[in-house]
Amino acid sequence: MSTNPMHQFNVYRIGPEISLGNVDISFTNASLFMIISALAIISVFFVGTKRKTIVPTKIQLLTELSYTFVSKMISDTAGSKAKPYFPFIFSLFMFVLFCNMLGMLPYSFTVTSHIIVTFALAAVVFIGVTIIGFANHGVGYLKLFIPSGVPVVLLPLIVIIEIISYLARPVSLSVRLFANMMAGHTMLKVFGGFVISLGIIGGWLPLSFTVALTGLEILIAFLQAYVFAILTCIYLSDALNLNH
Amino acid sequence: MKKFDTLSTRLKIAKKKANKNSFTNNKKNASSLGAALKLSTEMVAAVFVGSIIGFILDNWFDSKPWLTIIFFFVGATAGILNVFRTAKLMQKNND
Repeated sequence: MSTNPMHQFNVYRIGPEISLGNVDISFTNASLFMIISALAIISVFFVGTKRKTIVPTKIQLLTELSYTFVSKMISDTAGSKAKPYFPFIFSLFMFVLFCNMLGMLPYSFTVTSHIIVTFALAAVVFIGVTIIGFANHGVGYLKLFIPSGVPVVLLPLIVIIEIISYLARPVSLSVRLFANMMAGHTMLKVFGGFVISLGIIGGWLPLSFTVALTGLEILIAFLQAYVFAILTCIYLSDALNLNH
Repeated sequence: MKKFDTLSTRLKIAKKKANKNSFTNNKKNASSLGAALKLSTEMVAAVFVGSIIGFILDNWFDSKPWLTIIFFFVGATAGILNVFRTAKLMQKNND
């Protein structure tokens, strides 16, 4: 075990080196944890929906609650038009949630603490939403960049600002998730290191901090998955209803 | 009878206290924490994107460092706009 707080974010290869052209596509610990979280989601929902009883079992209740939670979130923020996109948002929410939560287990790896992973997710959302917007409204989707009631003189400046604020969406979406996860895990590790270095006499204070921070981290893990999903809903609502 | 009255008032006070520390209050705290995290990155991301666009345009037009500087401020404006919009949206959701 290393005392370096950043050591936990190391990506290393598992198994043989595989390369496709110049791209290294070897199986890493990050890929392993992504697969684990995907399998965990599938198995939870498989077991939860297998036996449908009227008085639900605990795991059935969990699946039903998560279904209604996401479904209500979509209808509240994006309206009934967004219903066809429920599977995508549900899987996105579940994937981020499970990656965050699995990262809270000791000795595990937090996939979402790497900006390339969160940026890939955000880029999928961004490109998808842009395509949906153009498919639904055609060139009229560009109206999103022209707010109503702006004087013609200011229009070029406003359009540039609007375009930048549109392009900032995937960046803010990915940076938020990545920064929260990385900062939290680094903080936990730093306080954990204090416990070791202060020993049995002074180590109790940082230990209690670590316990409190673990609770906070679990809250943030859930919250960030929720924020990721709800912002996807809001962007989708922009693309579907063309409102600002 | 008097004893009974005091009991009912005490019960009322206790209920009020329990309501104060109930789950809804906790949920509100959690969502405001989420809001704080949401707003801060909104600002940073727009400034970052603006500066990157300025940097790329600078390389195109060979006009270092002017466009980077200009787009830094345009990005900051976009960031403020984004923060403002998010705050407005959150206010609407709270009502």
